[in-house]
Amino acid sequence: MTYTFPEAGPSLISPDSYRSAVSRFDFHQKLFWHVLIVSLCGPALAVVPTAVAQDVGSAQSAAVASSMQQPLLMDAMGTELQRALTELGSAATPVASSSEKVLAQKPYFISYTVADAESVTITSQYGAIMNSNESHERTADVQVRLGTPAEDNTHGAHRSSALTTMALPLADDRAAIERTLWYATNRGYGKALDALEKVKTEQQVRAREEDSSPDFTEERPQVDILAKESPLSVDRSAWESRLREISGVFRQYPNIFYDTAVLQATHETDYFVSSDGTKVEAPNHVARLIVAARTRASDGMDMFRDETFEADSAGHLPDQTEVMAKTQAMAKGLNDLRTAPITEPYNGPAILSGRAAAVFFHEVLGHRLEGQRQRGDEEGETFTKLLGKPILPEFLSVADDPTLTNYNGYPLSGHYLFDNEGQPAQRVQLVKDGVLQTFLMSRLPIAGFANSNGHGRAEIGKMPTGRQGNLIVTSAKTVSDAKLRQMLKEAARKQGKTYGLYFEDISSGFAVTTRRSPQAFQVIPLVVYRVYVDGRPDELVRGVSIVGTPQAALRSIVATDDQPEIFNGLCGAESGTIPVSAVAPAMLVSQIETQRQAQGTSRPPIVPPPPLDDVASASGSPKGGR
Amino acid sequence: MRMRALLMIPALCSFVAPALGSVALAEAPPAADPILTAMQQELAREKSDLVIPGMLRPYFIQYRLEDIHTYDAIASYGALTRESENHQRVVRVEVRIGSEVSDSSSARGDGSLELAPGDGDPAALKYALWSATDDAYKNALRAYAAKQATLKNFQSAPTANDFTPAKAVTLIEPMATLTLDRDDWKHRLIEASGLFDTSPETRSFAEAVEYSSANLSALAVNRYTVNTDGTVLRHGYSGYSETVSVGGQAADGMELGRSNGSVAATATGLESAAALNKRTIDDLISFNDLRHAPTVDPEDYHGPVLFSGDASADVFNRLFVPNVEADRPDIGTSARTQGVYQSSYKTPILPSFLSVADDPTMRSFEGHALLGAYKVDDEGVPVEPVDIVVHGKLMNYLIGRQPVKDFPESNGHGRAMLGQSAHSRAGVVIIKSSDPLSADALRAKLLALAKEQGRDVYEVETMNGELVPRLLYRVSPDGKRTLVRGAIFDELDQRAIRSGILAAGGKPYIAQQVGLLPETTIAPELLFGDITVRRANEEQQKLPYYPPPALPQN
Repeated sequence: MTYTFPEAGPSLISPDSYRSAVSRFDFHQKLFWHVLIVSLCGPALAVVPTAVAQDVGSAQSAAVASSMQQPLLMDAMGTELQRALTELGSAATPVASSSEKVLAQKPYFISYTVADAESVTITSQYGAIMNSNESHERTADVQVRLGTPAEDNTHGAHRSSALTTMALPLADDRAAIERTLWYATNRGYGKALDALEKVKTEQQVRAREEDSSPDFTEERPQVDILAKESPLSVDRSAWESRLREISGVFRQYPNIFYDTAVLQATHETDYFVSSDGTKVEAPNHVARLIVAARTRASDGMDMFRDETFEADSAGHLPDQTEVMAKTQAMAKGLNDLRTAPITEPYNGPAILSGRAAAVFFHEVLGHRLEGQRQRGDEEGETFTKLLGKPILPEFLSVADDPTLTNYNGYPLSGHYLFDNEGQPAQRVQLVKDGVLQTFLMSRLPIAGFANSNGHGRAEIGKMPTGRQGNLIVTSAKTVSDAKLRQMLKEAARKQGKTYGLYFEDISSGFAVTTRRSPQAFQVIPLVVYRVYVDGRPDELVRGVSIVGTPQAALRSIVATDDQPEIFNGLCGAESGTIPVSAVAPAMLVSQIETQRQAQGTSRPPIVPPPPLDDVASASGSPKGGR
Repeated sequence: MRMRALLMIPALCSFVAPALGSVALAEAPPAADPILTAMQQELAREKSDLVIPGMLRPYFIQYRLEDIHTYDAIASYGALTRESENHQRVVRVEVRIGSEVSDSSSARGDGSLELAPGDGDPAALKYALWSATDDAYKNALRAYAAKQATLKNFQSAPTANDFTPAKAVTLIEPMATLTLDRDDWKHRLIEASGLFDTSPETRSFAEAVEYSSANLSALAVNRYTVNTDGTVLRHGYSGYSETVSVGGQAADGMELGRSNGSVAATATGLESAAALNKRTIDDLISFNDLRHAPTVDPEDYHGPVLFSGDASADVFNRLFVPNVEADRPDIGTSARTQGVYQSSYKTPILPSFLSVADDPTMRSFEGHALLGAYKVDDEGVPVEPVDIVVHGKLMNYLIGRQPVKDFPESNGHGRAMLGQSAHSRAGVVIIKSSDPLSADALRAKLLALAKEQGRDVYEVETMNGELVPRLLYRVSPDGKRTLVRGAIFDELDQRAIRSGILAAGGKPYIAQQVGLLPETTIAPELLFGDITVRRANEEQQKLPYYPPPALPQN
């Protein structure tokens, strides 16, 4: 099985991403289906107390419920969890065709996670609002584990058997909350029984596993009730005006055939109680503005750019002047890219900008240091046996530190206080002076690591796994930007090249970490320049894709600059889509291999875009150029 | 009848349709709507400019904008668990390459979708149309080439053309709106879903109710359509439905549930709060009755079963309606349509005392607004009543602009689900008997059969969508009814409705759905002579592993 990671970056939220033009259509269909699901499947949803709520919609009752009597929710969760622990498996059940009775399995662990989220999403395109919604949802994840920590129902491929997800009452109605939790727990227990039976049978017939670690770590209980979040407040009409103006920029670019500007703001409170005594309530709030656009060269090659702005609330996002300037620059850059010459195969030195290096490390290193990738029959285990050995040049160190809210004053989106298994966030030194120290651990143990280090993360409705938060790459061998550029030219000259490459921006493609695929990574360069040895001006090229193995690329880093850059984005993997950050300085790599990317063959649009002359533009964009 | 001569149009000569003339169905001038104006402007531009040099031009383009407004609320165990409202606009562009005789279209339907601006910005709307048109044209070129190549593999030509011409139609209807007292409905849902615990009638078995939920779904759709025939449409519909679902298990683990609701064209047409509560309590009581009901006999029963109007409508919706909706046959075959009635033209498919018509022009029936009613279909063809079955014989299929053998013209049944292309679909199906029996007479006939055969017979009140009975009664010859559980029907098929219906009642039941496409089916009770009632051999689920939390003391 191959996991693909639609990865890091605004690409994930933004409807349009690095993928082929098809994704645009998919997105629309998805959105569209979304509408259909909401409107047409009501009766089906009503059959059981509701599946996970998926839609975005307004909620009149929204603001009312959350902020008031929250102790009730936490209390109801605790009470019902205790009752489940006491009652489940306490009664003897009769066995068919026998007068004997057997005692049912008692769960050794139960946890209830509730995410109470209010959010606003506004989508605009080409100077107009496509969609503007608010929603309030409360969703419960119930985890039931049977057996023993050494071997339980989640073993191997049965990981998700522990999890049952259900929509909870939006108001603090104790009886309804408790009954919903009972319903979910009862179902979850049934699923867990079934899975445990399968696990036991499979373990009998299979060969001994390489990593015979237990299935669940033992942790100290955590109790922490953090300050409540203020209710979400977004001035929707003001933001709608702003978004019209931002996406209206693209009316000046007839060759950019797709654009979008999206605001997402969420205030969430996460409640967690578990049978090992943990009780945590923590706020989580984020606002994100994404601007993305796509164009196509005359040869059919699609090109994509995006800008993401991140803050703890919509009010703290950059002002309109800054966003407009960045959007203008992005649109112009994308337009230039359309007519840039196509790259040639290249194998030589290159600089990755800080932003590009951050994405590169997130993809190439970060994902492979996730604990669960070091065990299991399907995993590639690139770094499993390299613990205590150098995997990077000794001047580089890497930590993942979700406790940081910002870096040099800029907000980091991978910040959290407790992970999704109720464990406190921790700074983890993954690589010290080039040597691999540890992995990103959830409560799934691996050989040599029996405990979580606070990186068990998941989207609601998924089982947590080891994931990144804020990945921070630091360097002990820094030079100025100018010096780094100088070093690039020298390295190119030494290797007999007329130019070196400068990667200004890259988007992540996917990381393949499973055993059957080659250990390759695919990050998609968006903006690449040739830096000529003879002093000619830099030349923008398009169609570059990087090839090679991760370790080789990481070891050939020669030096870095002294100005780390931040990449904020969303990261998708088996445990869902979560916010992450990566911070890295620009890096000079002695050897990087590139080739021309696979590309679409569709022509650019045949008819020019509709003229704007008979229309009063919403944003007052210039009407020239057509 | 054949229109082939007219349709032998060279592929490169496009847009013949406006020559066919035009029909206006409303006084209002179409140009008044800015959305329609923007759509017409972009359509005109694409019509003149859209061509890759050396390739075919489109011969037909249609733009449809759907403005979809939805509201949903769900309550469970007496608490609201979800409320969502969404307003979205989508444009769908259909481009046809080739000619009416043979074009780029496939049985699945073709076209491209784009999001359209919610705020009516004409520049952004045209931009979305432009983008979708470009996609649709390129896809049509590819599809046309592939289809022509496929056709070369077959000896015989398709049995019908790909498309029928239509006259230009103008229809501007008032906008459909979503009108609903949201707070009132939320309270109703919260109350209804909590009745298992709060109502004295059901309190005694509240513990056994594993789920209890109520939901409301409201939808208002406005569709704006322009095409190169010159047709201009603005029409829409609204639909409201509420559903209550309750259920749990019998002592042997069998899962049992009741789920029903009302559907109407307006929120006020739904059941009142009092009626909703009454129905919910009835559902809870019948759920409890089912828990204690005996399971159906383990040995098969073959014999008479009386179907209520509700159950009869389900039977027709599943066994009959899809088969008279003419779908294009697979490429290379000589069939007329898809489905079991493809070669049943003018032959009996129902008993001679039954006739079936589809009449979407009928806007109400016995005071109820009919959801399946419309004036002009989604392909711009005015609808007419169609006699599908006359005295048992199949005389017509429901046809859109995709003709089938012997039926070269649309009868206005090209209907589209949201975001989809149009297919032949029913609107308001009415099943009538030329010899209707009163409810008493029908029941007497059932009991007479029981006496004659010297055994118990069956009567079904409601079924789920898969024709599995929910409320099924065993009826003894002396008229005593006993609720039974755990049964399925067998041999309930096209043969049963062709030759197995002994009599029909005179009290029509109106079954409506907003669903994927608003449709109405009006059916009488039906007495079948030989249906199999069999015990369902499903795995019995485990009873709850632990009891639910104690209910609050009221």
